[in-house]
Amino acid sequence: MREYFRYFKWMYLLLAAVAALLGFLCLGHWGISKMLHYERTNQSCVTKERVFDYGDVLTDQEENKLRKLIAKREAQTGCDIVLITLQESLQEYARQIEPGVGYDEFVRVYAEQFYEENQFGYDRPNGDGIVLVDNWYREEDGHIYTWLCTTGRVKEKYSDQAVDHILDNVYRYVERDPYLAYKTYVNDFYHDMLGIQIFHLYVPGSVPWIMGLLSAVLFAVCNGRSKKGAKTTTALTYTGGAQPVFRVKQDRFLRKSVVTRKIQSNNGSSGGRSGGGGGGSHGGGGHSR
Amino acid sequence: MIFKCKNCGGNVIYEPGRGGMYCPHCEGEDSEERIEGGTLIQCVNCGAPLQVGNYTSAGRCGHCGCYIVFHERVEGGYEPHRMLPFRVSRKAAEQALDKEFSRRLFTPSDFLSAKSLEKMEGIYVPFWMYDYKARYDYAGEGIRVRRWTSGNTEYTETSYYEVIRKMDLDFEKVPVDASYAMEDGTMDLMEPYDYGQLQGFDPKYMSGFYGEIYNQTAEELEGRAREKSRSASEELMQGSLQAYDTVRAVHRNLDLEQRGNYYALMPVWQYLYRYKGKVYQYHVNGQTGKVVGTTPVSMTKVISYSISVFAVVTAVCCMAVRVLEIL
Repeated sequence: MREYFRYFKWMYLLLAAVAALLGFLCLGHWGISKMLHYERTNQSCVTKERVFDYGDVLTDQEENKLRKLIAKREAQTGCDIVLITLQESLQEYARQIEPGVGYDEFVRVYAEQFYEENQFGYDRPNGDGIVLVDNWYREEDGHIYTWLCTTGRVKEKYSDQAVDHILDNVYRYVERDPYLAYKTYVNDFYHDMLGIQIFHLYVPGSVPWIMGLLSAVLFAVCNGRSKKGAKTTTALTYTGGAQPVFRVKQDRFLRKSVVTRKIQSNNGSSGGRSGGGGGGSHGGGGHSR
Repeated sequence: MIFKCKNCGGNVIYEPGRGGMYCPHCEGEDSEERIEGGTLIQCVNCGAPLQVGNYTSAGRCGHCGCYIVFHERVEGGYEPHRMLPFRVSRKAAEQALDKEFSRRLFTPSDFLSAKSLEKMEGIYVPFWMYDYKARYDYAGEGIRVRRWTSGNTEYTETSYYEVIRKMDLDFEKVPVDASYAMEDGTMDLMEPYDYGQLQGFDPKYMSGFYGEIYNQTAEELEGRAREKSRSASEELMQGSLQAYDTVRAVHRNLDLEQRGNYYALMPVWQYLYRYKGKVYQYHVNGQTGKVVGTTPVSMTKVISYSISVFAVVTAVCCMAVRVLEIL
């Protein structure tokens, strides 16, 4: 065991250092959250409801728990946080408002309209806020679409990557536990808004596990091979330390060719989108499953 | 021949730790007296019959324990041009082995204590050493590729060059072991030796050790030396072409002209250990202390250490990701 701890001493010290840093940051995070309390200044919002479970995927108890959580997070972030679940085709509705809009953006049109019609926004109508629309209905193209619509300060703060990150986390749980998925949405949003955002880095949850697995395999392969010994000679070992002498060392330019290629922009179904709709200005992005 | 102590008549041996001749019986230093005589079949000290291998040049009498150097095999055509006396003592060799066993991570924890020594001997291994003058002419086409992006266009520029190299290089004393008993790969891994300590042959350095004459001639073994020199030349030539992403050779000609060869004796400690019914062989460079040989691998250690690495790396990554998210 002594040999084991001697070998892994630095690794465990690193672990302890990162854990200490994380603990320190979490403590700071918690302290800041306790001090934060935004006063709502938008009195024009037509509803106090934040959880619209039209798709009926949550129990009444779960809805109430989400309402309480959202109320707390709204005061801490100074943003309206809205959740809408649906179980209906949005094709007709969306194409009435935006003719020719694609399947993946029906939810976008719905989210933006919903936000504006209800005058959401913590600071002013159509001001700071976020809305998640999860339509459980499988549209004609066979997909279920979800949209995260950002407005005001949230739109400024949220990059496409950040939107993807929240939606990835929602999709991680939504099929087996919708309540956990939507709770994750609210809490992730809170953490993102509270964060100092020095690093705009979002790492999929599987990456640490893959890194761990690769490190372990690499470690086992490198150390597990029973080698006789390392080669300790070089190309200059038997030249008495002398470098080779180049009587001729010629590099003559012959010709050059240049090939150009247009870079195609990637418009995947899980990509983000920024843009305006109606009177407000929204950002956001969508995923499908 | 043997070396006897002038003081007590005991067998004087060369002791690497002291760097000189030493009598283990009276602890006298440099008290040796060279006694000529004896044959390959009879001990010069006690007259007992000897059984000497085909290539043995130095050994030990099984009857009186006296170290004997067989003059027929170190004189005339068998007299080495050069030799490298042992610099690493037996104790230092064993310390080097223990250090190496401890350094190898997956060696079973009880290997050091449970292994039993089957055989241990210091051997002067015969080597041939070759000098070469290398002339390498190379011509080819070098290609450099540069990529950059401007706006939504990616550019790939490919430049072609005529590449000519004429390289001269002298190789000195490229070693090749000339013993059937020693595995070539193992002897190659023992390299390099410090040639600054090479000296003329003196049989007194063989007293206390085993030795062999060359098992094959310089001509028979030259191919291996040539291959080592060719490989080194190729590596140096490739080093001069690193400015290119790819180089397509159009012409290449390596001329290795042999400028001489030497017969030399090089010091090697050989150890045989038995561990859990299996024999493990190790060689220690008698000049530098470098250890060559495989150690057993403990699967328990492999699995437990790998699980630890997995757990710690995963935990560190998870926490680091969380830290970055908070920040």
